[in-house]
Amino acid sequence: MAGRSPTMLSRRGLLTGAAAIGGTAALSGGLSACGTAAVANPDTLQFWTLLSGGDGGTMADMLAKVTGSGAAYDVKTTTLVWGEPYYTKLAMAATGGRPPDVAIMHASRVPGYAPGGLLDTWDIDRLAELGVSEDTFPEEIWKKGMMGEKLFAVALDAHPTVMMFNTDICDKAGVLESDGKLRATTSPDEFVDLLEQLGGQTKGGHPLSYGYLGDGAQMFRLFYTFYTQHGATMKFPEGGEAEIDDDIAIESLELMQRLLDGKLTAQRSDYASAIAEFATERSAMLFTGVWELRTMVSTGMSFDMAAIPTLYGTPSTFADSHAFVLPHQNEPDERRRDLTYQFVADLLKGSYDWATAGHIPAYLPVTESADYAKLTPQSHYAEVAQQVSYEPEAWFTGSASNFQSEFGAAIQPALMTGKDAAAAVDAFRARVNRLLKTTNPVDPDGTWKP
Amino acid sequence: MTATADTPLTRATPRPQPATAPAGRNREQLVSWAFLAPFLIAFALFLVWPLAHGLYLSFTNQSLTGAGGSWVGLDNYREALTDSTMWRALGTTVLFTVVSTIPLVLIALVMALLVHRGLPGQWLWRLSFFMPFLLASTVVSQIWVWIFNPDIGAANAVLGKIGIGPIAWLQDPDVNLYAIVIATVWWTVGFNFLLYLAALQNIPDQHYEAAALDGAGPWRQLWSITLPQLVPATVLIVMLQILASLKLFDQAYQMLIGLSTDTTRPIVQYIFESGFVGYRFGYSAAISYVFFALIVIVGVFQVTAMNRRRSMS
Amino acid sequence: MRSRQARSPGQKRFGIGRVVAFAVLALMAIGWLMPFLWAIATAFKTEEDAASDRSWIGSEGPTTDAFGAMLSNGNVWIWAFNSLWTSLVITLLTVAISALAAYAFSRMRFTGRRWLFAVIVAAIIIPPQVLIIPLFYEMLAFNMVDTPWGLMLPQIVAPAMVFILKQFFDGVPVELEDAARVDGAGRLRVFWSIVLPLSRPVMAAVAIFVFIGAWNNFLWPFLVINDTNLMTLPIGLQTVIDAHGIQYAQTMAQAVLAATPLIVVFLFFQRQIVKGVATTGFGGR
Repeated sequence: MAGRSPTMLSRRGLLTGAAAIGGTAALSGGLSACGTAAVANPDTLQFWTLLSGGDGGTMADMLAKVTGSGAAYDVKTTTLVWGEPYYTKLAMAATGGRPPDVAIMHASRVPGYAPGGLLDTWDIDRLAELGVSEDTFPEEIWKKGMMGEKLFAVALDAHPTVMMFNTDICDKAGVLESDGKLRATTSPDEFVDLLEQLGGQTKGGHPLSYGYLGDGAQMFRLFYTFYTQHGATMKFPEGGEAEIDDDIAIESLELMQRLLDGKLTAQRSDYASAIAEFATERSAMLFTGVWELRTMVSTGMSFDMAAIPTLYGTPSTFADSHAFVLPHQNEPDERRRDLTYQFVADLLKGSYDWATAGHIPAYLPVTESADYAKLTPQSHYAEVAQQVSYEPEAWFTGSASNFQSEFGAAIQPALMTGKDAAAAVDAFRARVNRLLKTTNPVDPDGTWKP
Repeated sequence: MTATADTPLTRATPRPQPATAPAGRNREQLVSWAFLAPFLIAFALFLVWPLAHGLYLSFTNQSLTGAGGSWVGLDNYREALTDSTMWRALGTTVLFTVVSTIPLVLIALVMALLVHRGLPGQWLWRLSFFMPFLLASTVVSQIWVWIFNPDIGAANAVLGKIGIGPIAWLQDPDVNLYAIVIATVWWTVGFNFLLYLAALQNIPDQHYEAAALDGAGPWRQLWSITLPQLVPATVLIVMLQILASLKLFDQAYQMLIGLSTDTTRPIVQYIFESGFVGYRFGYSAAISYVFFALIVIVGVFQVTAMNRRRSMS
Repeated sequence: MRSRQARSPGQKRFGIGRVVAFAVLALMAIGWLMPFLWAIATAFKTEEDAASDRSWIGSEGPTTDAFGAMLSNGNVWIWAFNSLWTSLVITLLTVAISALAAYAFSRMRFTGRRWLFAVIVAAIIIPPQVLIIPLFYEMLAFNMVDTPWGLMLPQIVAPAMVFILKQFFDGVPVELEDAARVDGAGRLRVFWSIVLPLSRPVMAAVAIFVFIGAWNNFLWPFLVINDTNLMTLPIGLQTVIDAHGIQYAQTMAQAVLAATPLIVVFLFFQRQIVKGVATTGFGGR
């Protein structure tokens, strides 16, 4: 989205917006000293995102709404390629270049950013004044933005890995309940039975689509979902040894291998191929992120979504959150900061639209609204927001992190061959231990305290 | 060395300097340094200083974020030498160098031999083979990522017609290094092709005339004149190609963005990742020097081999 | 079109060998052009066709929609402009400072000449990739990260070009210059009015190569530029994406458009470039 040029509309917008911000804005020098000059040049906030595809389009629409009428700010979005390039650029901008006013990061990446002074903290009181506070978020999601007592990230959403299923195929196979939901399964055996029953209806494809080749994130998402469904956690204490429950890890990995037998699921499939298999109705079910909702809607097929079934007793789903962060600025302009707070609050309040891209909005007033309850299939997996499991916390983990590719490197051979789950878990542990021995690069002398 | 007479390596030694009167010596010195100054300043600032400072950084725990910077002695090197990822990256780099250099030299040779036969359409051949070399790595990557798309890419469409595949070109760790090789050969073979073409044009006609008088057919001529005459050019091309292949980064990085690259991460990418993705400037600098050592060893080896060849002939 | 090459005597004009050679050559040329032609074909499709239709011309027929959509995105023009002017400045500076230094090494006598030249020749082997960490650090110190100077300056040091130019100057007869100097012309004047005109071909070769290198350079600009308004074409195309998602036709339209300027340059300067490759063999990637 190109920067919007100052218009009469936003000029009026600034006045209304400034009034809305109230006392805090009046404190800042620029506005109170020479109001007219400021009005002639509505502030354009620099906003960096890594959202592409349906996400990017939805975000553009949301931005158009919040900057459209009565907004005190304009927004110039810079969308960089998802993943490693984005995080590299963001870190470099916060270090030496010109950081944007606000950026979207995965909440899981915050522990790798905050200690280096790359991020400024959010003022909790200032947010509360705008109606954004701890009690307007699911507990886990709010907590994920905190380090110690400080708030570094304000979540926009939770985007878990979920299950999509083709309702036509499932109906034919007789696995749908009367309310249209998929027959509940509570153990791996039951789930495999379900898939086998679906197998009769998926000619030329597989009952389940799941792509992972070359994609460490995709492997970890499913693995960690199964792992945490055992009620287990992983801990990566800096300088220590990884705490991974081997038996549970092996069992989880073996379930993945069992699914990837070439019959239930293609043994060697990459992310895009799995999406394509499901989208062309060659398979009955797909494990994927909620963000693919738009892709499937656009095919016109009939499908529904649900949480990945709880196969080991404890409801849990791997998820991450898109979160707003303040890249560090040496001398932040207070007025722009105010507008940034306003902007983020506005986006959160307008995040009903964000649900159309599949994500579960983090802001509770949105997901608890009557409108949202009517939204399908979004409301069918909304409960997942209460059972999210983020990646184990460490400076090296998070979306598009080194950790994910290390995990992929350790596990992928076992998935491709269906052999040696135990050895793969060992390799994974060894890689994590190596990362743990490495000093945290953003805080090499270990001096940072939250 | 006739074959490469046009290339700088084989130019005649510098001719004698013009005589200068002793009185003009000081002035001559001054003028010389004035001519040299712009280059030398840039050379010092952007090459010598970074090279030295990088060495210093490799002994510290400097971070991209400005944190750290304490002296850690040989820790970074110790870590690098026991870092399996680094060794894998070095291995990948060497494997790529071997697997890419062979086609990059052989295909270039075949192209040059065929074009040199003087078939019609010279400009078209040159354009076809050399054009990809003019493209930015970004463009090359975008084109090949598109061709290698596992679902809707042209590569699998073509292979599908003969019953092969589908292949996850860039996602399958057993295949993706070769996908990079294919793209690289397409991209850069034209450069070697032009070098060979220049070398071919420098083979004196008398050789062929003499051979023709002796009744040698085209194949005999190829084996007894052309190929032997191309040996010096080949040595040069192989040398340049090895050094270029060792520096693999741009296309590999851009074609595999967002994919796990554990089995395809070249060493330069590991330098980049340690420094700019992992923010570990000190460690990254240390790996840079390991890589530099590799380049120097290969370079020295090549120069020695070439000198030995030269002194033998 | 007849070739300029001397053909070895005894080769027949229309022998079976020639036919086979022609066939092989044509196949290879098609193979080499195909990826680019496919990119062009995709660029002229609708997005729907690009994603689903593998024929050369999509079911909805050729369209310039993708080009239009891309060009209406102001960024592409900014990046192309940035690429053009920074590459020109880099080329100008590189050629200027390299030629001056090379001339000094070739013609002048000064203390440490051999030694210094040896250092510069040795520096040819230093891969720029080794320097990215300290260079970036230096640019931070100079406050040049995210500036055009930070982008350009580190690219103007090209020891290989000094070497090539020195070898060339060594081969230029010195008598002309001597005559001028007897007439009282200074070094700079001799260099400017006698040596430079004589070395136009090699200068062109060096300049073209530096330009291609700068235009296509990826790693350094990728590291040093974060501001989308300062990005060059390769960096912009790689790091900034259209918020509306991966669109194959548009991506290929970008690729084709980014490739066009240099291909046009090649068509115009084919002979110089072909010769330039032979003289500047070091420019290789």
